[in-house]
Amino acid sequence: MIIENVLAASSELFTITTMMLMIAGVVAGLFAGAIPGFTMAMAVVLVLPFTFSMTPVQGLATMIGVYVGGLSGGLMSGILTGIPGTPSSIATTFDGFPMARSGRPGLALGIGVWSSFFGGTLSAIILILAGPQLARIGLEFQPWDFFALVVFALTVTASLAGDNMLKGLIAGLIGLLIATVGTDVIFGYPRFNFGTDALIQGFSFLPVLIGLFAFSRLLSDIRMPDAANRKLGDENTKAVAIEHRAAAIAVLKRWVNLVRSSMIGIFVGLLPAAGSTISNILAYDQAKKASKTPEEFGKGSIDGVIAPEAANNATAGGTLIVMMALGIPGDIITVVMLGALLIHDVIPSPSFIADEPVIAYSIFISFFLANFMMLFLQSFTLKGFLMVTKVRMYMLASIILFYCAVGVFALNNVAFDLWTLFIFGILGYVMRALNFPIVPIVLGAVLGQVAEQNLSQALAITTDLTPFFTRPWSLFFVILAVFSCLYPLYQKHKGAKRWADFYLPVFLAAIVPALALMDGWIRPTIGGVLLLTALILLVQRIRKNAPVHSASR
Amino acid sequence: MRLNRDVYVGIFLLLICAVFINATFEIKAPLFGQMSSALWPRIILVSLTLLSILFLIRSLRLEKPEWEQKGSLKNWFRYYKNPIYCFGLFFLFLASLPYLGMLLAGVTFVFLMLSMLGGWAPKKLLLHASVAILFVGMMWSIFTFVLGVILPQGEIFLYM
Repeated sequence: MIIENVLAASSELFTITTMMLMIAGVVAGLFAGAIPGFTMAMAVVLVLPFTFSMTPVQGLATMIGVYVGGLSGGLMSGILTGIPGTPSSIATTFDGFPMARSGRPGLALGIGVWSSFFGGTLSAIILILAGPQLARIGLEFQPWDFFALVVFALTVTASLAGDNMLKGLIAGLIGLLIATVGTDVIFGYPRFNFGTDALIQGFSFLPVLIGLFAFSRLLSDIRMPDAANRKLGDENTKAVAIEHRAAAIAVLKRWVNLVRSSMIGIFVGLLPAAGSTISNILAYDQAKKASKTPEEFGKGSIDGVIAPEAANNATAGGTLIVMMALGIPGDIITVVMLGALLIHDVIPSPSFIADEPVIAYSIFISFFLANFMMLFLQSFTLKGFLMVTKVRMYMLASIILFYCAVGVFALNNVAFDLWTLFIFGILGYVMRALNFPIVPIVLGAVLGQVAEQNLSQALAITTDLTPFFTRPWSLFFVILAVFSCLYPLYQKHKGAKRWADFYLPVFLAAIVPALALMDGWIRPTIGGVLLLTALILLVQRIRKNAPVHSASR
Repeated sequence: MRLNRDVYVGIFLLLICAVFINATFEIKAPLFGQMSSALWPRIILVSLTLLSILFLIRSLRLEKPEWEQKGSLKNWFRYYKNPIYCFGLFFLFLASLPYLGMLLAGVTFVFLMLSMLGGWAPKKLLLHASVAILFVGMMWSIFTFVLGVILPQGEIFLYM
């Protein structure tokens, strides 16, 4: 069955047109990732209109090319200029830039490229192996579970806003509210159209997304006249030859760090909204802790480049697993991919891999393939990147703003979509200026209808609300949602207040009942292990705290 | 009570909630015992109202930041000059689209935006005009001829 699906997907994927489109996607991603201020998420958003006229396989393969290219592109500017091209390469600059300045820029770039390649490839293998398995778990989901999963996705996204958790939650609710405007998904009744015909159909998903995300971001970038007139990169940056052989050997020699960092990346990718921005820093931190020479970190350590680059590329596999297995986008890029699938009338759900095996396996293979393309194309785009850095920010912003308008119009050939783009551009800009996070609004707008449909189905089965707390998966996500809401408080008080010491053991113990209720023996066993861990941690924390408090008395 | 930016945001959010909650009473009720179309929006709006009240209370406790105390409308305009110009130009672009069409309105929009942000020096104007014509023309051609999208032609061209 798997071989049949792989062959069917390969016949669609391995055509000259699709390969050329993928190469174009990887190159576009590499450039987008390399240009500071021009994120890969924006690149994926902007590539979407081009995919309207493509087949679903071609469109998704192109976007995956942009995604993988974008994840790796950030290392070029990070290592050569010290300014990370994307937030996912922040930690790469910690050691990559010092290494480049100490006269080894070719090796630093090579290590970054090869770590990205190995991280991405490992993640692709896990995606191929774990995606269908997770989809099987997804088939256990009932409406209550899906609703609780959406709630968790929104709370965890909001919790990443840190001190601004309240703003994050408000943003998520605004996103959900945006999704309710227009025709109701259950009965088709108009809602919140305020007497206008244009609003009866509601807001199209893509103009909202591009307006909130790309439009508002561009205007934020050009707010300061100095920043608008600044060139995209450092003029003094010079082209260097990537030392592929030496770098590949250096990376493979440090395989423990490579595998650990890739696993961190994949795990973070599985969490809704976490993404490569977090995974690269987390992997760097772990590599430093595990290193025998932590004092070398920050001065040009090879392990310091391997960890973030392997992790950020591996994250892509994790986010794709969740999107394909559960139909829930984990970050802004998978939100756009979900949009691309919806444009082609493909609805991601737990049965997606079984229902659309050609598309699903095309995603698997193209993700795998994109990593090889990235490895090959990185050297060529390096020269192009140096040329692009001479362009000024306001030029790029003006052209992209126009492109946003054309792309949005091309979606439905409806002028109202352009006004939607304008309105949500303003909304996104104002919310950014007021320090409201944008990702929860976008996720809310995308997941709003999923939440409503599942809530409606749940209430149609029974008006009793207890299944939200008695069904294992629903209970699991409700508990995760509650603890994700408390997470910013824990972060704030960690080490300062006594209760924060007990956050982790209590959290572990809290999810045990949900795991114990699940079918089979594996998950209840995991629950047992977690309970044991929670008890050990609890005892440790109590012992750690006891002398401090008796002494203070 | 201290008035700061977040207080106004909180009040604005509450007003929005009030308008939308009121609008939920105009949503048609379902004919059979299914979930009402107004239920889900109301769940969202009640949660949003509660969080907005919390936000407002928290904002009232905050000190007004120094930069806000010094702020005047003139300073505010100067601070947000570029985005305001861009939004204004984009509005004009959208308003002129039915008359000028995507190509002409696009070239004008990109040229004006480039010059507004990059300066009006004669040398730059030439560069901006070239960039606007080249890139808008290129994108218009790709969407029209390669992707087969029928972009707005503009009324003025219909009479030509």
